[in-house]
Amino acid sequence: MSTAADGMITAGELAGRGPDPAGARRGRRRGQVNTGLVVGLVMTVTFLAIAALSLVWTPADPNAVAPADRLLPFGSPGHLIGTDALGRDIASALMIGARTSIVVAAGAALLGLVLGTVAGLTAASARPFVDETVMRGADILLSIPGVVFALVLAATVGAGVGSTVFALSVFFTPSFTRVVRAAALRVLGEDYVAAAQLYGRNRLFILARHVLPNIFSVLIVQFTLYFAVGILTEAGLSYLGVGVNRPDISWGMLLKEAQETVGVASPLAIWPGLAIVFAVLGLNLLGDGLRDVLDPRLRKRAS
Amino acid sequence: MLVFLARRFTFFVLALIASSILIFSLIRIAGGNVAAVMLGKAARPEAIDELMAELGLDRPLPVQYLDWVGGMLRGDLGTSFRTGESVTALLVDRLPVSVPLALGGMALALLVALPIGTYAATKAGSPIGTFVAMASQVGIAVPVFWAGVLLSLFFGVRLGWLPTGGWTPWSTSVSGAVQSLILPVTALGMVMAATLSRYTRTSVLDVMNEDYVRTARASGMTRGGALMRVGLRNASLPLVTVVGLLAAELIGGTVIIEEVFSLPGLARMILSSVSAREVIVVQSAVMVIVAFVMVVNLIVDVLYGVLDPRVRVAR
Amino acid sequence: MTDQPVLDVRGLVVRRDDLVAVRGVDIQVRAGQRVGLVGESGAGKSLTALAVMGLLQLGWTTEGQVLHDGVDLTRISDRAFSSRRGRTLSMIFQDPLSALNPTQRVGAQITGVVRRHTEASRDDARAQALELFTQMHLPRPEQMLRAYPHELSGGQRQRVMIAMAMACYPQLIIADEPTTALDVTVQKQVLRLLDAAVQDRGSALLLITHDLSVIAAMCDHVLVMYGGRVVEEGPVREVLRSPRHPYTKGLLESQPTLDNIELEGTARLPSIRGNVPSLHDMPTGCAFRTRCDRATAQCEVVPVLEGDASRAACWHPEPALSQAGRS
Repeated sequence: MSTAADGMITAGELAGRGPDPAGARRGRRRGQVNTGLVVGLVMTVTFLAIAALSLVWTPADPNAVAPADRLLPFGSPGHLIGTDALGRDIASALMIGARTSIVVAAGAALLGLVLGTVAGLTAASARPFVDETVMRGADILLSIPGVVFALVLAATVGAGVGSTVFALSVFFTPSFTRVVRAAALRVLGEDYVAAAQLYGRNRLFILARHVLPNIFSVLIVQFTLYFAVGILTEAGLSYLGVGVNRPDISWGMLLKEAQETVGVASPLAIWPGLAIVFAVLGLNLLGDGLRDVLDPRLRKRAS
Repeated sequence: MLVFLARRFTFFVLALIASSILIFSLIRIAGGNVAAVMLGKAARPEAIDELMAELGLDRPLPVQYLDWVGGMLRGDLGTSFRTGESVTALLVDRLPVSVPLALGGMALALLVALPIGTYAATKAGSPIGTFVAMASQVGIAVPVFWAGVLLSLFFGVRLGWLPTGGWTPWSTSVSGAVQSLILPVTALGMVMAATLSRYTRTSVLDVMNEDYVRTARASGMTRGGALMRVGLRNASLPLVTVVGLLAAELIGGTVIIEEVFSLPGLARMILSSVSAREVIVVQSAVMVIVAFVMVVNLIVDVLYGVLDPRVRVAR
Repeated sequence: MTDQPVLDVRGLVVRRDDLVAVRGVDIQVRAGQRVGLVGESGAGKSLTALAVMGLLQLGWTTEGQVLHDGVDLTRISDRAFSSRRGRTLSMIFQDPLSALNPTQRVGAQITGVVRRHTEASRDDARAQALELFTQMHLPRPEQMLRAYPHELSGGQRQRVMIAMAMACYPQLIIADEPTTALDVTVQKQVLRLLDAAVQDRGSALLLITHDLSVIAAMCDHVLVMYGGRVVEEGPVREVLRSPRHPYTKGLLESQPTLDNIELEGTARLPSIRGNVPSLHDMPTGCAFRTRCDRATAQCEVVPVLEGDASRAACWHPEPALSQAGRS
């Protein structure tokens, strides 16, 4: 795996699906705005704003069962997007679902980022034996399909927000480790780092003072892209019933309920899916756009 | 090349060992007590201990681990505690569902993504190239299970062309089995194709901007000739890596798609075994999946060595 | 042979939307002639060469004519152009590592060119490649044919590139900074080989470089480019001995030579003040006027090339050598 792995394409790159060189070139031309970045930013801000709003206000209690109001169609008064088979308000559920997505996906991405940064910086700056061990360990973890791992873990430890975050972060860490290591090695190869070493600066100082600030843009981009992967994976796990459960609400869970309670014919299956596509698309556009702006060299140097 | 192969194979074996330890400890530490589940809530603690001893679960964990690995090396994946069926037999039941689904999805993804991605790269900047790029960006954001649900809504419920779910065994009717696989394979393949076509486009674009493609053109290759003879060969290098990494994603997608279409595959077996605390079944099935991913990655790396002369010498 | 030039570039403009990198360049290269194109990076030399070869990246467009062998290359199809590239005109690139296909043996890359343009059989093509490698003084040429680019040294790779460009006895070879990426010790060898190969085949050479000493050694005619235009042109001896454009003069004076080190001792090497303006804020009129000591209001109008022995595009040129008299 070493060779292909060092090509540095990771699940995150798969998630962000790599930079777009044509887009990057366009972006660098004078007077042209990176449309993807702007669209992604608008979509992401909308998504975050809706989630934030759900903290203080939702149209209704998404767990309040009201048999009289069940299966109201789109546009019903008081239930803008309608109700599910138990008469629960869908718009409210979608709003809370956005919040869950953020807690789980962003939480897992952040945890994975921290662990991966520690491991990646260790690997990049340690002796070759340690480096080799850490990276081969990451390769092994990457061979365990994330969904299968999360499924086993969630089912054994128990489903819920906490175990989903944990499962996802374990799944993310090796990819972050790889990306951070590659980026850190690039910085460590720079002349000013060699100069700092000549001045007798110790490893921690160099990592904190020189490496971290310089890989910060890489970290931001990766965080955004894994945020998106996290939303997709969390939705998948909740769909399988090993992720988030009531009274918490997740988009994947809503899809599962829609399919279970009224059969696949229900238009209820449309809304949670659209919400996922919206959030993930926004984050991916944002991540790709940020990469073009912050680190246009990333791809070139890495390959 | 030989050194490269030897190193790669050594790592493969080490990785198998390491992951088996990882899977075993994870499932055994957190896996719950199968005896307690089997005997129900009212069971006396002594009865549970007795059953544990009977099942060999009271032995020290290292012994149990060696027993499990030793069995696998002889081709014995263990037996189910409840039914006494061998795990191998269970797998043989399930693989005719899961393997065609996974391979079909991958094949469809490749068939769709490689030509489209390449085409989009040659048309980069034009309206059609931009459209393909945007379409794949949207496709990437579509969760695989939602794609499955939408497909079954449209083709199954609305048009009634294909079953919305369920499974007709191959032995009953081959065409029935194929029909029950069409929608799942399409859902899986299309979602993966979105990712892959984006990657294909990027790789081809990158390579076509390389100096050596310009040299090929300067020495008399037409644009199409340079793409076919120089571009694709070199663009295949990063793509091979991507396909390897997609193997893990493919398994994840298969698991979810089996659930969407109620297919009795490997994934559902793991799901139900997990809730029944059938630790041996779970750990063997997960091991089979991990081994599959590792074999794919091994093949990918060897292929990489064949395709790229620089790797052969360097390693 | 008629006196028709093998390359006649007329009014070449290369642009990308509103960015104009080459602003009306005329170049004539006669059969067997060696023309140098000199200037700092950003002067538009490489884009000129790529425009002539029809190999500009997507987004760049050209205006003007590129006449070669009786046809205007800007007007023919990619297929028709392809049948000329590598056969009647060929190009050598700057960085020989990135310019060779990393996944193909160098021998196959050469026989590919031969077989693309001639009826040669596989064995014939291989024999020709072997002959070319021998001419290029590549050691153990038979083994070399089977090597991949990454297994060769920089100098060897560039010799392979030259062999590839020479394979079909082209009328014109364009060499874009052929030695810039090489070690100083290797540069000379490679230039000597290029010199001999051009000589043997009677090809014309358009040599692009920023190094005047390379021009002095290799060329008989030189064009100096600045800001996308030719600012001075003429026979190499003429231009180097008595530059008429202030830019050429500055360029010559900023070349370190043993002379100016010995004579001026600790004195600093003269340099042209300021920097090359970027494409975005190219001054109107003479592009050099913002860095020129003689600039006047007149320089806000673009000067044209004028002169006899050598021609300069300047309102206030140095007097020509012929007028000043040789001393």
